[in-house]
Amino acid sequence: MDEVLERTRSRAVRDGAIAAVLLAPSLAVLGVFGITPILGAVYLSLFDTHFGAGPFVGVGNYAKALTEEDFWKSFLVTFYYSVGTIPVGLVLSFAVALALFRILRARGLFRTMYFLPYVTSAVAAATVWRVLLHPQIGLTNLVLQWLGADPMQWLLEPRGVLYFLTDGRIPPTIGPSLSLCCVMLFDIWHASGFMIVIFLAGLTALPRQLEEAARIDGAGGAQVVWNVTLPLLSPTIFFLTVVSAIRSFQAFNSFFALTGDGRGPLNTTRNLTVYIYSSFYQFGYEGYGAALAALSSLAIVTMTIVQWRFAGRRVFYE
Amino acid sequence: MKLKSACGLILCFLAALTGCAGPIEETVTGGTPAALRTFQPINPDAAVFWDRQTTETRQLLLQLADEFNRLHPDLPIKVEHSGGYTEINRKVAASIQAGALPSMAVAYESMTAEYVQAGAVAALDEFTRDPQRGLSAADLADFFPAVLETNRYSEFEGKMYSFPFCKSALMMYFNKRVLADAGFSQPPNTWDEFLEQCRQVKEKTGKFACALNVDCSTVDGMIYSMGGELVKDHATLFDSLEAMRVFELIETLVREKLAYQITRDSYDDESALAQDQIAFLFRSSSGRTSIARLMQGDMQRWGMTRIPQADPADPRTVLYGPNIVIFNTTPDQQRAAWEFVKFFTSPEIGVRWALGTGYIPIRRSAAQHPDVQAFWNEWEYNRAAFDCLAFARSEPNFAGWQEVRELVHDAETAILTGMKNARAAATELKQAADQVLSARHARSTR
Repeated sequence: MDEVLERTRSRAVRDGAIAAVLLAPSLAVLGVFGITPILGAVYLSLFDTHFGAGPFVGVGNYAKALTEEDFWKSFLVTFYYSVGTIPVGLVLSFAVALALFRILRARGLFRTMYFLPYVTSAVAAATVWRVLLHPQIGLTNLVLQWLGADPMQWLLEPRGVLYFLTDGRIPPTIGPSLSLCCVMLFDIWHASGFMIVIFLAGLTALPRQLEEAARIDGAGGAQVVWNVTLPLLSPTIFFLTVVSAIRSFQAFNSFFALTGDGRGPLNTTRNLTVYIYSSFYQFGYEGYGAALAALSSLAIVTMTIVQWRFAGRRVFYE
Repeated sequence: MKLKSACGLILCFLAALTGCAGPIEETVTGGTPAALRTFQPINPDAAVFWDRQTTETRQLLLQLADEFNRLHPDLPIKVEHSGGYTEINRKVAASIQAGALPSMAVAYESMTAEYVQAGAVAALDEFTRDPQRGLSAADLADFFPAVLETNRYSEFEGKMYSFPFCKSALMMYFNKRVLADAGFSQPPNTWDEFLEQCRQVKEKTGKFACALNVDCSTVDGMIYSMGGELVKDHATLFDSLEAMRVFELIETLVREKLAYQITRDSYDDESALAQDQIAFLFRSSSGRTSIARLMQGDMQRWGMTRIPQADPADPRTVLYGPNIVIFNTTPDQQRAAWEFVKFFTSPEIGVRWALGTGYIPIRRSAAQHPDVQAFWNEWEYNRAAFDCLAFARSEPNFAGWQEVRELVHDAETAILTGMKNARAAATELKQAADQVLSARHARSTR
């Protein structure tokens, strides 16, 4: 008995050693390029550094951020962006994925077409969008004028989209700016390829017999989608929601490439990431920028935990 | 972990952050540069120069660097294109944090003030006064006072922390064809004439008269030209009568659809001028080369002149153009950088640079050179920017102005987009800018 135990123990030690050796390269890479910079940023956030020098202030930078109007404005922009992109992106992508799943002809061609935006560089695509939305020579304004409407300023417009939709009845400072909506639209278009592919993978893996059984029971197309397909796809929807929410808090490229500096007209596109960037690089407040980054990470972690706890329960795993 | 526990932990963390925080202690700088710090050179084998020149001017700069390297083989100069001025400023900020810097970089005065406060920049007085390697009194007297004085920082004991590099002035470019269609043979001299010409252009041609690039320096130049000042005793004067006139002018231009705003960081206004779509634009005189290219050599179709004035007898505009800063790296790197600065600002190179780029000669001897004189006679407007040197003024060169620039940008955008009227925008700008400056002043005197 002792001999068996001893042999088991030595095997466990040997396996542990092998596992440690095999994991070492990954842990080293993660430690050097992942953990150390995070710890470095947290350490930096405890100093009031400006252009590389400054005294220790403890959590002073965090307190400053939480009591500063600019931080909460950036948080609001991030919130608008998340709310504006995630549900719309999910619904549109699901609809397109369902259509692509059901069509029989040229399926590969269409799938490639819809995936193309995702593999295109965000900066290159944004450059094209900037031309399309150009107030003087852009196609969008040409179409508007052709339709008899007034041209819009698009990416240069700080007034809220609700102001335009209600013909000025809602004050221009309420809601996301038209400029921010342009960025959202771009990101929905750009990220939809990824979502469509994931939805297609989810649809392909669904058991057909449940849908067929529902049809035999007399359910219409919409009822099948609502009552059978969507519940079965809930793990996919949940995964995409979590990933999209995290990405919405990290969005930067499209903001920067579309507006030129990320801040947009009157800071109406300055989300948390852009705020971190401008604090850190544009004005040289490194400690404050690092504190903002830590708060942003904290917000992402909190949001993800909440999503897991509340939405995770409603996910149906086969 | 239970959700309650997680939320509790987060709330405790947030409470700790807000509750335990003491006031932020400000950096101890005492109105002088922070203790000088020494930085690693980003390239120990070459004196790296971060610059923004592009196209032909970059080629000329590279050629001059090659010539310099042939004359000074010890430590070669390496010119690296590092984006525009804003990008270079961001790179320098990050590099200061990282503890490694190039030997030198181009920088505007307000950027330099930030670097000085971080202890990253070498004072150049010891270089200029060095008996062997410095500049003689005659050499220094050869520089136009306006371009040298802006490099002395009153905030930092009046020391010279940068050296003039490329100088230009805010100018008004005009399209003669559009003006002729509106019935004018000459550009406006005063702001009242300018507004009248804009209205006539709109009425008679249906075109926008002007394309506006949202830019703090342009606003500053307009305030100067109205007879105003920007700051007094570290408080801004954006609510002064002169500044208010500028903001009201912008408001009128937009309200009457005489002008439109161009996309940030674009040169759409230059294209519009070249395509006869507008009559006026305001840009640095260094834009002459690119506009000439867009006009495809048709120099009779356009011109450039000083910006309109409130009082043409007492003209003013803003002096543009970056300077060179030498960072606190190694003595070898600094020596090489200073030798390059001397080489680049020598009269012979100054002539070549002015002729090749359209920048204003910064030395009297260069301005009097026959080749420069011949260049000025080639086209009636070639001399216009140089003529502005007598009255062009720099923008404030103290720490914090970089942040104020963004506030000016926002105020102008608010007016252009109708979010605020001129009076509200100017008043709020004054408050916000003063807040920034007083915070920075307190920081530097703590």
